[in-house]
Amino acid sequence: MAAAAWAQDPAIQSPETQQAPGTQQTLGTQQAQGPAAEVLSAQQRRIEAMRKASLATVGVFGLDSQGGGSGVCISPDGYVLTNFHVSSPFGHRMRCGMNDGKMYEAVVAGIDPTGDLAVLKMFGRDDFPTAAIGDSDRIRVGQWCFAAGNPFVLATNLQPTVTYGLISGVRRYQYPSGTILEYSDCIQTDASINPGNSGGPLFNADGELIGINGRCSFEKRGRVNVGVGYAISIKQAMNFFGNLRSGRIVDHATLGFTVATDNQGHVVVSNILESSDAYRRGLRYGDEVLRLGDRDIATSNQLKNVLGIYPDYWRVPLRFRNEQGVQDTAIRLQSLHQTGELEKIVEGSSERDRQPPGRPKAPGQKDPEPAESEVAEAPKNSKDPLASQYESRRGFGNYYFNRSELDRILKMQEPRKPNLPGASSQEPVQIRFSGKVIGENTLVESKFDPVKIHWTLGDKTDSVSVKSGWNPWIQKQSPLPIAIALRLWYQWHEQGPRKLGETTYIGQSPVLGKQGLLDDTRIVLGEITAEVYTSGANGDIELIELYNDRQTDPAEIYFDYQPQAPAGQLPSRIRLQYGLESRLVFELSGVDVLPFANPDAAAGAQP
Amino acid sequence: MMQRRTLLVMMILACIFGQTLRADDTPRAEPSKGLEDLFQNAQRSVVKLYGAGGLKGLESYQSGVVIGDGNTILTSWSTVLDVDKVRVVTYDGRRLDAEVIGVDPECELALLKIEDAKLPGFQLDAKIQARPGQRVFSITNLFGIAAGNEACSYQKGVVMAISNLQSKFVGLRSVYRGKVIVVDAMTNNPGAAGGALIDLRGRLLGVIGKELRDEQSGIWLNYSIPIDVVAASVDRILSGKTRAASATLAMAKNPHKPAELGLVFIPNVIPKTPAFIDRVRKDSLAEKAGIQSNDLILLINEQRVDSQKALDQILQTIERGDSFQLLIQRGLELVRVQIRP
Repeated sequence: MAAAAWAQDPAIQSPETQQAPGTQQTLGTQQAQGPAAEVLSAQQRRIEAMRKASLATVGVFGLDSQGGGSGVCISPDGYVLTNFHVSSPFGHRMRCGMNDGKMYEAVVAGIDPTGDLAVLKMFGRDDFPTAAIGDSDRIRVGQWCFAAGNPFVLATNLQPTVTYGLISGVRRYQYPSGTILEYSDCIQTDASINPGNSGGPLFNADGELIGINGRCSFEKRGRVNVGVGYAISIKQAMNFFGNLRSGRIVDHATLGFTVATDNQGHVVVSNILESSDAYRRGLRYGDEVLRLGDRDIATSNQLKNVLGIYPDYWRVPLRFRNEQGVQDTAIRLQSLHQTGELEKIVEGSSERDRQPPGRPKAPGQKDPEPAESEVAEAPKNSKDPLASQYESRRGFGNYYFNRSELDRILKMQEPRKPNLPGASSQEPVQIRFSGKVIGENTLVESKFDPVKIHWTLGDKTDSVSVKSGWNPWIQKQSPLPIAIALRLWYQWHEQGPRKLGETTYIGQSPVLGKQGLLDDTRIVLGEITAEVYTSGANGDIELIELYNDRQTDPAEIYFDYQPQAPAGQLPSRIRLQYGLESRLVFELSGVDVLPFANPDAAAGAQP
Repeated sequence: MMQRRTLLVMMILACIFGQTLRADDTPRAEPSKGLEDLFQNAQRSVVKLYGAGGLKGLESYQSGVVIGDGNTILTSWSTVLDVDKVRVVTYDGRRLDAEVIGVDPECELALLKIEDAKLPGFQLDAKIQARPGQRVFSITNLFGIAAGNEACSYQKGVVMAISNLQSKFVGLRSVYRGKVIVVDAMTNNPGAAGGALIDLRGRLLGVIGKELRDEQSGIWLNYSIPIDVVAASVDRILSGKTRAASATLAMAKNPHKPAELGLVFIPNVIPKTPAFIDRVRKDSLAEKAGIQSNDLILLINEQRVDSQKALDQILQTIERGDSFQLLIQRGLELVRVQIRP
């Protein structure tokens, strides 16, 4: 009964109940008897789904309460998903109107100009109503859905407009408009999406968020709905959300190879960069691409579609077929744009879009003012109440959020300081980690002092300066980078990430073999770059990647901890990997502090 | 008073939440599963068509429905079909070549033949009449959104009216003047012509018509040609009343020639230059018959004239002494004229 109910409209009969022509009851007699109980209960469910969904729907306005688009709140602390093309005309400051009739002050956090997404943060509450996140991979053509938002900026009382429709198509690809704003793997709906709906939510029939509305097909009929709207899938949006919270201008990905469809209809590699991770994982010209991420690939379009849902640097599974048979591997995605390229596009587009999208005006129609609404945090003086929540920096939508994410990570480290006896003394010391290779009797020692880093495996010791000369060891895939990583592990916990080098919070990325997404912090350590992946739950460092450059495999050092280990516990097991190959696994038995006599001190060298 | 109302609101809310809780307790089947399956099946009988066009305002793509045994495609008769082979892309991404086997100028419908591709066809059941208020769905490749094996787009709608184009819509410029199903959904977009309008059982109710705009109001009409009109038109085409130029007719010993008839066509520069008349010579047979400049010749003796070449071929089969009939499109009018030597 419940299953059929959504297919029923009060005015229209379902396939099961529709009768042959001529025998069908007229509408009039139906009304006389009153609608069927299941129709009423379906309607009641729809009303409830829309009521719930409307609570989290946001109207996005400029500081003068003008212009606008839509958005949707997805976290109780006020993070809002919207379109980049909605937020960009407002710069970094806007107001968000919610269903409670209040306007909340908001700033932009991160932006994704390629995927047309932006994340805003509202202030003023810590219990904002949020949308339940749905599974956009499970939606099918023929399911009912509804859009909520602020079409034509009608929501002057801040109550969203709801439009109802069908899923018309899934996994659609829409070419970039101009140089950016590519819609890949998007959802097509005939629910009315009009100017002002942009950035707003698309919900499934149960009121779960499945997409962010952003585009329509118009052509010659002017800028009103013609039954074709597109939404960015919530899967893509949530893949990027972690990165967007970093306040960065985030980028999409390329594979480092191109494909073409051969005459048998196979998707084959038509060109591949030797510097790409895919090449290092064995993909070659002419190999057939079978699967990327969790999606089978049958056409070149599908590959383009799947690629669009991933941020750059993510490592995703790839299945391909070569002469030896079917190969399963994982590849790191490269950035779609070169350094600085996106910033230029963003600057250009904000120049162009300085005029916010107004509502279309009928002749003689006046602009209604959202006068009924009260402003939650009305600025009493001329000073912007959110002045301290915005920090301009090149490469960032708002650097304030990167700073606060790094603060969050630092905070998680504070109770985890190693506090080794003697380590905090004024005298220079040497920190020594010792362990044993698993399944062997080979001993491992990893030491560092103010001058050098030493790595001992069995009876062989290598040393390197603390300052430079690290790249060759990564390039020749030596185990010595374990010692560099352990020093980084120690210093991270001792001093926090910021003091180690130029530090940027990247966002959230997947790590092979680990559940969910991990916090990803990038530290430039002189000539190499470290990516430190920490658990969002407890701050444990799970993986340190040490990059020589992006064209060779990094050293990957994985850290395992005893289950339920208390904060500050050493990792129990450490594993080195290059590419997808494990090189060394050892058990860490302890760490101690040794007095350090600088052998060069006599010669007058500064440590 | 106020208190009573509050109480009432609370009771209603309690009912809603009560229901929600119960619904969550029992495992709920996938909503609208019926439609998903229906759509999955029906879209296999809709194809994407690619042909001539691509100029401003003229799309080079449209939609088509597979009918009957699966070897025949019904679509809108448009300039897209002005190619030797129309490219057909099936629901599963197969690319086939199709040939126009006949047209119905009055209904602006055409039939294409494809090799046996094992496609399920819609049945043309003239008894299935759409009724105002009925829920309908369109399946089209509007805007050319779907490519390859991607599914055509679905839209939902309700039948607003069954009406006659000629009598009701004076501002609409259409060759087709007959009965139409008018729907409340934006079905008639670029590339949608020739697509399917189906009911809740997945049965074909009509074929989506060409884009049509009321010149006075500027409003676009969303309509389909109803199944009974479509079925009759298909019968007419298949019964051979209008055929493609056929090589089987005997050549005339002393045939007609366009120049001698007084017809001057636009320059024949492409393989399928239409038989579009530039001017008519004074005192010629053509002028006597009432042919005018800017007329487009569609049929000669019910044989289809899809190009100036086809016109030449057909004239080759008619003796100079014999009279013959032309179907001409003049603006939006269809005019029949008789050439009498």
